[in-house]
Amino acid sequence: MTEAHSSQPELPNLAGLLAEKLHGTPFGHYILLYENIIFSLVIVVFLSLVAYFASRKSSMIPGRLQLFMEIVVEGLDDFVCGILGPKGKRFTPFVGTLFIYILLMNLSGLIPFFKSATSSLSTTASLAVCVFIYVQYTAVKENGFFGYVDHLMGNPRGIIAFTVFIPVLLFFIHIISELVKPLSLALRLRSNVWAEDMLLAVTAQFGLGGVPLFLFNMFLTILSSVMQAVVFSLLSTVYFALVLPHHEE
Amino acid sequence: MELLKSLSTSEIVAQIVSFLILLTFLRIFAWKKLLKMLDDRRERIASEFKKIDDAQSEVAKLKADYENKLSSIEAEARVKIQEAIAEGKKVSQEIREGARQEARAILDKAQENIELEISKAKQELKQKVIDLTLGTTEKLLREKITDDKDRRLASDFLEELGKVK
Repeated sequence: MTEAHSSQPELPNLAGLLAEKLHGTPFGHYILLYENIIFSLVIVVFLSLVAYFASRKSSMIPGRLQLFMEIVVEGLDDFVCGILGPKGKRFTPFVGTLFIYILLMNLSGLIPFFKSATSSLSTTASLAVCVFIYVQYTAVKENGFFGYVDHLMGNPRGIIAFTVFIPVLLFFIHIISELVKPLSLALRLRSNVWAEDMLLAVTAQFGLGGVPLFLFNMFLTILSSVMQAVVFSLLSTVYFALVLPHHEE
Repeated sequence: MELLKSLSTSEIVAQIVSFLILLTFLRIFAWKKLLKMLDDRRERIASEFKKIDDAQSEVAKLKADYENKLSSIEAEARVKIQEAIAEGKKVSQEIREGARQEARAILDKAQENIELEISKAKQELKQKVIDLTLGTTEKLLREKITDDKDRRLASDFLEELGKVK
């Protein structure tokens, strides 16, 4: 079940309206059930088409679309490499895709008859799970399995190495902290976007008198959408930075 | 907890799949291509700048060489001009000397000719005086000389003598 069935105020969207039309039919039921996936897929298709057309005839002298995409790609590459260093270049596609995907999903709530898929916990949880799996994979790949366990036990330990209790305790604390990371990522993003959408839905009910407030909230929503996308990507990058070996430091 | 209950496994799986599809698509069409393009462009710009720097240093070197050559050519030309001037002076001196000698020779020859002509004229005058004297003497001897005739003959003699001069 999605949160669409909840009694919270919500701006009307295409999937919801279609589901109402097809009320009582299995198709209407599935549309309502997977409306977040439908809106996510619209973003996926849109981004794929933009990427395809931007790079289809890529040349040294770029066109407008290619130039725009290059600015975005280079900006995100600088963002990731600024935190992880030159070796962070291989994480740019993952973090960059996360950023663009989340940003567009957040902002899509502002388009009439659209909905922010990120206002659903399942959507944000899926992205957080992807980050968690990739971070753990990178940790094991970069440190080795035992190296990673050693890292979780608080390596370098110094004098603590002579005790058994504290490393074991640190190991369990780190395990909990690793598990909490995706949860915090998912809840933070979902709650912010959900609150923005709810705020817009509530102010939309004020009628014409609420238009200035609605416009002000739209501005806040744009600001918050960008900020949440940055926070999610930034924290994901930091998680990668934490598990990468720091021998050279 | 109520919120966590809203999680849907099927939705999570579907969202993960859609994200992975997007990631794959963007990795192929955007990240790989555009990052490579950006790197290529960066390298190309760097190499172009290097080429420009190399060309500039090459031009500066050529300019220095050219200026050196130019200054050596100027010095050489100056030397040649000096040599030509000296040669010219020498030639003009020779020509002047030659002309002077030739003029002297011409003058000497003219002097000789004049002297020769004078001596020839003197000789002729002498001959004429002799002839006249002989002629007059002959006439005097043949005719009876009166005082008037004598005077006239002397006057004729003097006129003829004036014509000879």
